Order: sequence, then structure tokens, then C-alpha cells
Amino acid sequence: MKLLTCPLNGSRPLSEFIFGGEYRDAPDQKTCSDSEWAAYVHNRNGAPGDKKEWWYHSPSGTWFIAERNTLSDKVSRTYLLSVNTNQMQEQAK
Amino acid sequence: MQALTPNKAVKLDAKISPAAPAQSGANVKWAVMNDMQIATAFASAEVEQARQKVLGVTDVSCFPRYGFKGPQAAQWAADHELAIPSSPNSWTLSDQKSLVLRLGGSEFLLEDQIGGIVCEKLSSISARVAGVYKVPRADAAFILNGSAALNLFAELCSLDLRPSALLANDVIMTQLAGISAIVIRQTHNGEPVYRIWCDGTYGAYMWETLIEIAVELGGGAVGLASYQQ
Amino acid sequence: MSLRTTKQNGEWLDRTKKINFTFEGEAFIAFEGDTISSALWAAGQKVLGRSFKYHRARGVLSLANHDVNILVTDGMDTNMRADIVLVKDGMVLNAVNTVGGVKKDKNSFIDSISPLLPVGFYYKAFHTPRRFFPFWEKVIRKASGLGIVNFDYPRILKRKLHTHCDVLVIGAGPSGLTAALVAAEAGLEVTIVDENQQAGGSLGYNRGGNVATASQLTDLLAKVAGYSNITMITGAYAAGYYPDHLIPIVAANGITKVRAKTVIVASGAFEQPPVFRYNDLPGVMLGSAAQRLIYRYGVKPFNNGVVVTANDYGYRVALDLLVAGTKVVAVVDLRAEASSMAAELTKRGVKVYPGHCVYEALASSDKSGVRGAIICAYDEQKNVAITTKKITLECDGIAMSAGWAPAGALLYQAGTAMQFDYAVQQFVPNRIPDGIFAAGKVNGIFELEQRINDGRRAANEALRYLGLSAPEVVVEKHVGACPSHPYPMVPHDKGKNFVDFDEDIQIKDFVNAAKEGFDNIELMKRFTTVGMGPSQGKHSNMNAIRILAKIRNLPVEKIGTTTSRPFFHPTPIGHLGGRGFHSHRLTSLHQWHADHGAVFTDIGAWKRAAYYLTAGQTKEDAIQTEAMAVRQTAGIIDGSSFGKIEVHGPDAAEFLERFFTGVYTTQKVGSCRYVMLLDESGVIVDDGIASRLADDLFYLSVGTSNAAAVYREMQRSQQMWQLDLGLVNVTGAFGAINIAGPAAREILATLTDLDLSYESFPISSVRESFVAGVEARLIRVAFVSDVGYELHIPMVQVPQVWQALLDAGKKHGVRPFGSDTQRLLRLEMGHAMPGVDTDGLTNPFEIGAEWALKMTKAYFIGQRSLQILAKKPLRKRLVAFVLAENFKGEMPMDCNLVLEGREILGRVTSIGYSKFINRCIGLAFVTPAKTAIGAQFQIRTDNGSSVTATVVKTPFLKN
Repeated sequence: MKLLTCPLNGSRPLSEFIFGGEYRDAPDQKTCSDSEWAAYVHNRNGAPGDKKEWWYHSPSGTWFIAERNTLSDKVSRTYLLSVNTNQMQEQAK
Repeated sequence: MQALTPNKAVKLDAKISPAAPAQSGANVKWAVMNDMQIATAFASAEVEQARQKVLGVTDVSCFPRYGFKGPQAAQWAADHELAIPSSPNSWTLSDQKSLVLRLGGSEFLLEDQIGGIVCEKLSSISARVAGVYKVPRADAAFILNGSAALNLFAELCSLDLRPSALLANDVIMTQLAGISAIVIRQTHNGEPVYRIWCDGTYGAYMWETLIEIAVELGGGAVGLASYQQ
Repeated sequence: MSLRTTKQNGEWLDRTKKINFTFEGEAFIAFEGDTISSALWAAGQKVLGRSFKYHRARGVLSLANHDVNILVTDGMDTNMRADIVLVKDGMVLNAVNTVGGVKKDKNSFIDSISPLLPVGFYYKAFHTPRRFFPFWEKVIRKASGLGIVNFDYPRILKRKLHTHCDVLVIGAGPSGLTAALVAAEAGLEVTIVDENQQAGGSLGYNRGGNVATASQLTDLLAKVAGYSNITMITGAYAAGYYPDHLIPIVAANGITKVRAKTVIVASGAFEQPPVFRYNDLPGVMLGSAAQRLIYRYGVKPFNNGVVVTANDYGYRVALDLLVAGTKVVAVVDLRAEASSMAAELTKRGVKVYPGHCVYEALASSDKSGVRGAIICAYDEQKNVAITTKKITLECDGIAMSAGWAPAGALLYQAGTAMQFDYAVQQFVPNRIPDGIFAAGKVNGIFELEQRINDGRRAANEALRYLGLSAPEVVVEKHVGACPSHPYPMVPHDKGKNFVDFDEDIQIKDFVNAAKEGFDNIELMKRFTTVGMGPSQGKHSNMNAIRILAKIRNLPVEKIGTTTSRPFFHPTPIGHLGGRGFHSHRLTSLHQWHADHGAVFTDIGAWKRAAYYLTAGQTKEDAIQTEAMAVRQTAGIIDGSSFGKIEVHGPDAAEFLERFFTGVYTTQKVGSCRYVMLLDESGVIVDDGIASRLADDLFYLSVGTSNAAAVYREMQRSQQMWQLDLGLVNVTGAFGAINIAGPAAREILATLTDLDLSYESFPISSVRESFVAGVEARLIRVAFVSDVGYELHIPMVQVPQVWQALLDAGKKHGVRPFGSDTQRLLRLEMGHAMPGVDTDGLTNPFEIGAEWALKMTKAYFIGQRSLQILAKKPLRKRLVAFVLAENFKGEMPMDCNLVLEGREILGRVTSIGYSKFINRCIGLAFVTPAKTAIGAQFQIRTDNGSSVTATVVKTPFLKN
């Protein structure tokens, strides 16, 4: 069974986690068109590659983001989604 | 925390340990401790002592508990002169007699050991403080001791809980027998013991599971009276 | 006639302990340590089993857990592999795949009609003509399958344990043992596993007549035993590779899942049979099987043996046969040039035939064994026998050594890219995933010194992977004679030259399959069934690849290999099941419910009382009685399983507004509002009640089954929104009791000082007070009755309040009611329940919940999708319906379809008989055209009858 690293609780077997879907930025619902919104809600990009994903560590109730390559199934990093990390990411860019 | 009074008659309206539905049996002796009916003995003292050497499981759900969390939780604890662990997912003793578990970074679980009074003191505080949220606790809580404790964990938990991996002050939030639980290792009378907490509504299931395996491994249920010896 | 030899140095027997058992009704004596096969072979019993398809007699092939034609039953277990299962005193054994016994199997006639069963027979029989399908199905079902399932099998607990180590070494041969020693010396925790009963691998039996190898092994094992940080597991197999180095090790008593930091695969190689006519007769066995018989079990494989070989290994086998006292008639070598060991054999009177093959083995008159071998010259270029000059050798057994296939299953499963190494004629690892290392024969290293060296190299690489320093070790590439022959196949006009012993597949089957177009390895596998038997191709896949390569005139590496999947050997279901943990949550009233006749039902993780049975009552009676009590006086239900969540903080109301569809910023303290959660596509997830206890505190109660998911989504939203608040899940900490019915207020009034007048405590309000001396949150709800109070109290104090309510309500005839009754009561009220009356596609418009949507809010989850949906015509809508008065027909069920002719208009979501209303009532999805009050539609029942339903207003109670 795969191991996943929870940013708060460390490396744990996958059975302790619940997958929360791909992390995607929603379009601005006030300005986007109906079809843009429908595409956001219903369409998923299945092409393999680096994805940001939501994961939930069940015993501790921790949501976090995992950056995973869906082709190699390698997780490059995991972190809490917070204002700080968002800013850090922005700065990193 | 009140002392255990085995001779005290069981009150009909007493709270009952959440594990109690799984603790029936003619030999079980009950007493009330901290307003909760708890099993003090499951067998003779000799039998229980023998079980403890191999694998004893004791229900300590009656120990008083207090929980709180929030961005200001650590500050609030300091304001109330609580010793808190400095790092997430670790534990310490406050006032020598009360366990303080830091669950993640900003949540705390306190438990008065025998003679501890911290939870009782905090329970009387009713004022709500910004950034501190009380977490009502209704845990089922157990103590495991004996030489075969790790053999039991080997079946219930996929994590490495040997002393080399579960350090002295580590708090582990993991899954035991498929449900969320908290595990730490403590020392009691110089022997390592393991503590388990889970949601009280899973208490009977957890007790059944622990006892089933403990019995197979040559141990079994131990009443609170033996544990206090 | 006994074939038992004198005691062999290093044998696995305890000759002081005799064991009595029977096989097919005949008594046998064995020694402790014997397997079933070794004991029978020692006693001269050669027909040990029958093949799966043609029911041909079979004996020892590998003695390495691949002898899948030798499956026995002891009456309890079936398909026990006799080649590896230790014989026990008192065993009563029978072969499984026979009709009337292994010696006179009535199904052996199938062998003589084998030409009528061509390759792909199943596919063809099933395919055309279609009308024969039932006939063939019956025939094939009867013939197929191995063994008989014992339905009286007792449940024997097989534990599933987790362990952890630094280095897991798979295979305890010379490479693996060396690797374990090196890692242990570096202070690491090492686990080494081997499926054999004892460690040592080929070092224990591949002696080439030299007894010194035995002491070499003894020394090695003594060193290993000296390390307390080496855990040796024998008699258990590494069953598969799972990500991040999790390897389940299957033993007789259960499965241990080992999580390792690094893995060294030193699993060795399987000896592969050369293919010639009648290579399957009892007495024809792999050279390594003959060696195992000799050195593990002290059994002489045959009296007069022929060795057919295509490498140097066969010469070592011949030398070992001489040790056992076998007269070696000849060594027949496919290769034009004999081994350098030939001289020694010649000196000892063994005739060596280089450039020759066994053209066919000769069966004894009853086909139960070998009486000789016809040999002739072999053209290695064309891979054909030159039959101009045939020689017949008399013998009672043939040992075969033609080459090897790597035991690479775990490497493949881990994602290793293999390449074909022509120097050893074998697939070897090319790119191995991080943290996994291969050593020894599986890595294409065959010479003993180099295998030991390779074990050291692999261990050092593992040490470096773990961040330790360790020197580079150079392992010499293979030199000298190739351990495997590129094409050890001898065609024969009359066939019966077997490639796959599990499935009785011959060379011509591959040729025919290719002719029919199945010339890709994966297609060929499925069409011929090669490698699909219980041994999963361990002795057949490599030959199959070679045959296909020849047919297609391609190099072997272009053919590829089939996919390797766990488990490495068949693993019993009981092992996979393990203890079987069934976690469940109980409310603090569970014992009370059980003591009062409750029938429990699983809702989410919870055991809930569905209804309470008293003597002589049916389920239906019980539910109607409980429901009537609520309608006429009062009832109480344990609602402790409801999801309960506190939202604290200044932004609590703001959070609720974003999370749910309604308005909460204006909600007054002390009042309750409905909450509905949608997903982003506008589908209903759950609903519940938000009670405002303070400006900065809401108490939410939601459904039982979705509670965990709702809380989880709240946590995620909070991570995204970062509002100033805290979420506390109090589902387990608080219990709840709902008291409902016309007498509810009067009963409750006796237990609380709170003013319960309808004016000061109206519907949809919340109060905090004491009930029966317990601090409680009281919520005025109208879910099952117009008058109802939910009392939320600490879980451990629920029994106290429950008992007080029963005592106080005694004179009113208050009754407990269960969750099944609650379903009926809420249906009478006309309330739709998410998850019951909605599905994964239902939006609020479809259940008429427009009133719950505040579309003008700035944002809520699902809002944008609802804006789009609102513009579209409604496709279905939930309506309340009744059946005819005094309806007596077949009762429709939940999910029965609403039909108009053949057109599906919708379906029933809830239905039940209400004694109080004396009507069958329900909710159903129908098309918008059928929603008007008084409209009628047809429901089709399970048995196909049509029932008329009429749309009515809700609540049903007021109709």
C-alpha cells in the first residue's frame, strides 16, 4: 500500500486518507459564462501529468494538498492549503 | 479526580463507560468513579495480574477529560498555567498528574490521571474566549500493558509502534482496527504501557476487539482496581 | 520397493520420527520432514495425480511448489500441493482431479480423444453455434475446476499482521543470505523470507556430487543465526509487491505485511523443462527436483536414470544421482559440445551423448511410468530431431536440465523493466525502481562465487540507498556455458510434447493458435491458456515465449512477457479475510434497546434500533403500533446517531451562508433554520437544522449517514475560506432524543423548568435548559409530528433522560420507536429525505425545495449551477401520491418504476402503509406533466402488475 505524507502527521499508509479530488481554481462565478462554469463543474482533464490534489488525513481531520504525477504516481510534495502557503507559492513563482 | 471506591453502591443514574455494553459477565465488578460506572475487576486479582504480564486491557474511560482547540488555544493554556508540549503531536504531564496531549498544532486533549485535578479545574470555566473552542470529550479510553502489547498492535495498526518509532512523548493519530484513534506510550510503575483513545461510540467495538486479541495472546481484561495496584 | 537412501548430509528428515498416513486408501510410512510427494515417491508410488485437462498420470516435476498436477485433499482442505505440504501422522489423502482414483482414473479416456479438443476449444465451443452453448456449458462446468469445495470448512482465524524492517530480503539462497549478512553487519534490521521449509536455496541440493557444499551452507546459516537483527522466516512466501515496499508474506497461519525501507529480491530461478514427447510421464522430472529428492528427503529419484540436458547443470545432476545410488544410463546433451564435466562422468561409466535429444520417453505398459527413452541426434540450428538413427535406452526415469526462468514476479510487479541477456538466455532486470535491488540467479548471475558476490553488491547498494556508506562491489558477467538453452524443444509428429503441465498444452497448440491469428503473447496466453493454470506459467511461460518467437521469427525480447500480478502462489480466501474487522458505533442506549426487543439496522457506521418487537408481533405490527403511539400520544426515539457539529466564532453565520443554501446572518439567537448542502453541480448532498445558540455559535444537526462527509466538507471549505471560526464535531459527544406526539409537551414539561408554551417556544426554535437534571439543548422540530422536541445532551447522560421520559410518559402510554417507524412517520408528514428520496443527480428544484434556496445571496456552494439549471425545463419532480382506498394488490416497492406504456416517467422513492391514515402513501419522481394534484400514474411492481397512484398534497396527515 502506498504511503502518503500528511504535513502534520507524517508518512502514513493510504488507508488513513480520503481522496478529495483534483484541486482546481474555480472561474469567477459572477463573470464566467454558463458553459465555462459547466466545463469547470463537469469536465476533468484526464491527461497524465503533475496534478494538485486534495487529500484528507482521516484520523486527524487534516486536509492538505499533494502534488502528484499521475503517470509515475510519485508525490513530489504535500502541504497545507493556507493563506501563507498560497503567498509562498506566489513568491516562488 | 475522585478516588476509586469499590464498595460504593452503583447509582442507577450514573453515567456508564461507553465500553460497558461489551463488558458483561458474571464476574465483573463495578464501581463509580468520577460519576461514571466502570469495571473494577473482571477476574480474581491473581488472574488479572497474570494477564497484565502478558497483555492486560483496562478501561479507563472514567478518567476526567477536557478538550479545546483554536488559534488561541496554546495561549489560553499558558494563561491557565498549563504545561503544554512545545511541538505538535506530542504530550507532556501537567501538574504531574494530568496528561496534556497536543493533537496536531492547535488542539489539546487533557486527561486527569489518578489524583489529577486539572480537568476538573478547567471545567468550571464557562467564559468563551475568542479563538478558543471547547471540544466536548466523550472518549472511550484504554490502557494496554504487558509483553505482548506490540503483538496486538501488529494486527490492529499498520504503523510501527515499537519504541524506536513511537518515541517517548509522541502522540499518534492513526487507525486501529479500522477506526480513528489516538495512541501514546507511557510508563507506569516502570513498565511501558500504551494508551488508546477513540470516540466513545466506538468504545464497545474497540473493547471487544482488544479483548478478543488479548485473550488469544494469553492476556485479557483487567479491572481498574488491578491497574491501580 | 523403497527408494529411500541412507541418511544424506543436511537432509530435512527426522528419521527417528515415523509418520503413518494413507493415500488413495493405501497405507504409507514416512519420516517427519517428508512432504506428501517425497514420502510417496520414497515408497515407490509414482502416479501421484492426474493432469487437469487430459487426466494423464503425473508424478514429481519440480518439488518446488509448481507440481500443480499433484493436488490432494485430506477431506478438509482441498488442492493441497503434495510437493511442498508436509505429511502429518494420520493423514487420509486422496488425489483431487480423478474419477475413481488416481491409478484408474475413469476420465483418463479424455487423453485418447485429445485430438477432438483442439486449442481454443472453450472459446470455440462457447462461440458458435450459439444453440449448443447450454450443452457445452454443462459439460465444461462438470469437467472444469479442481477439487471440491468443503462447505463445512470451519472458520480458522488467519491473522493479518504488520511488521516493519530496514531491509527485506526475498529468498534465502546464497545471494540472499549474503545480502542479509552484509545488511545486518551494518546494524540494520533485516527480515529474510524463503518459501522453502529451510533456508539455503540451491546451496542445499545443487552439489554436483560434492558434499563440501553442505558444510558451506551450514557455515553461512550459522553466521546468519549469530545476528539478532536478522529475522528469518521460512515456509512462507513473499506474495506480491505493493507500492512503497509493502510485501505480504503468506504463511500457513496468516499473512504478515512487511513494510521495508528497501527490498532485495534474491528469489532465484525456476528450472524449465525441455519439451519432448511424453516429457510428462511419472518419472520424468526436472534435474533440480531429482536433487531435492536426494538431498532434502533422502530419496533416490530412480534406479536407472537418463539425464537429458542442454546446459552444464545436467552433468551436476548426473553426479548427484550417482551419489544417491542411481545407475545413470546416459547423459543426453542437446548441445553439440559436451561439458568439461563429461570426462568425469565417462570415467564413472556414464555414457555421454552430445548433440542428442530425447525424442520421446517410452511409457510403461499401464502408462504409469517410464520404461525407456528414444534418443537421436538433434539439429540445434533447426531445432529438430534427426530421426534417422534412433537409440532406445532402458530406464525408469529421466532428469531434465535445459535452463531457467527468473523468479522475477515481484520485480515485475514493482515496475522493473527487464531486458533479455543473451549471455545467459534469460530476462534480467534493466531498470529497477528506487529502493529495490536484485541479486543472484534472478539477476542473471549463476556461478556460486559470483552469486555470493552479487548478494554483497545488492546489499551495499541498499545501504547506500539508505544513506549509509558502503563500497562498490564488482560482479563478473557470466562466462562459460550458458545456463539456459535458447530452444530446448523437440518437435514430434505425434505431439504430446508438453509445454504447460497445468493445462496440458503442447507445441502444436501454439502453432495452431498462431495460425488462427493469436500470435501476440497476451492473446496467445488467453487462447491457449498457457500460464493460466495454478502455477501461473512458472515452468511454461519462458518456453511459450520462445516458441512464439520462433513461430514469428522474432528475437525473444520482441515477444515480451505477460503481466505478473499478485499473488505469487494461490492464497486461500481465509488468509485474505483475516480477522474481519467490522467497526460499528453504538449509542449509549444500545444496551437498553437490546434489552427491549430492538431489531437493529446498520445506518452508516451505526447500529440503530429499527423497531422494537414484542412476543408474537410482526415487524409490520411493531412499526404501526409505534407510529400510532406518536400520532395518538407520544413516542421517543434515540437520535444519538445524528450528525452534530458546532460552528464557533465571529464568522460562523457567514460560513453557513456560503456552505448552505439559506440565510443565516439574520437568524435570531434561539431560532433554528433549515440547512441544505449542495455540491458544486447543484446536487443535494444533505440537509439538517442550524440552531443559533449565540451570535458566534451555531449548532448543526444533520443526517446520520452523511455526517462524517458533511463535516469533512466543512473542514475543507474552512481551509479554503480561512474565516475566523472553529468547527467542532460533537457527533459522538452528544446524544439526542426526539420526543414527538400530541402528549410530548405535557410529558416534557414535568422534567424541565423551561416554559414550553407554544408562544414562547415555537416551532423552529432552540433553548438551553435542564431536562431531568441534565443540561440539554432543546430544539422544537416537526419532522415526524407537529409537536416534537429534540433533546441534545451529553452522550453518557442520554440513558438518564431517556428513562426519565419513559417514567414521566408512562401514564400517557409513551413508546419508544425505531428508525424504520421514523421513516414512516416522516413520510406521513410528507418530508423528503436526502439519499432516500434523492439520488446522486437530484437538484433542489426536482424535490420542490425552491423555498430553501436564497438565490440572491452573494455565494453558496452550487449556486452558479442552480442559476444554469433554473433556466432549463424541469425533467422530473418529486410528488406525493396515494394508492386507492383499501388497496389490496401487490404492494409497490421503493425504486419501482413509474411507467406510461413502455416509457419510463420516473420511480417510487418511498412507499409505505400508514395505519393512521389508512392508506398506502408514498413519494415518487414523475415527469412535470404528472405533478398536478389529482393526476394519476402507473407503478409497475416487481411481479409486473400495474398499480394506479394519485398525486396528493402533503402532509398526508391533513388530506
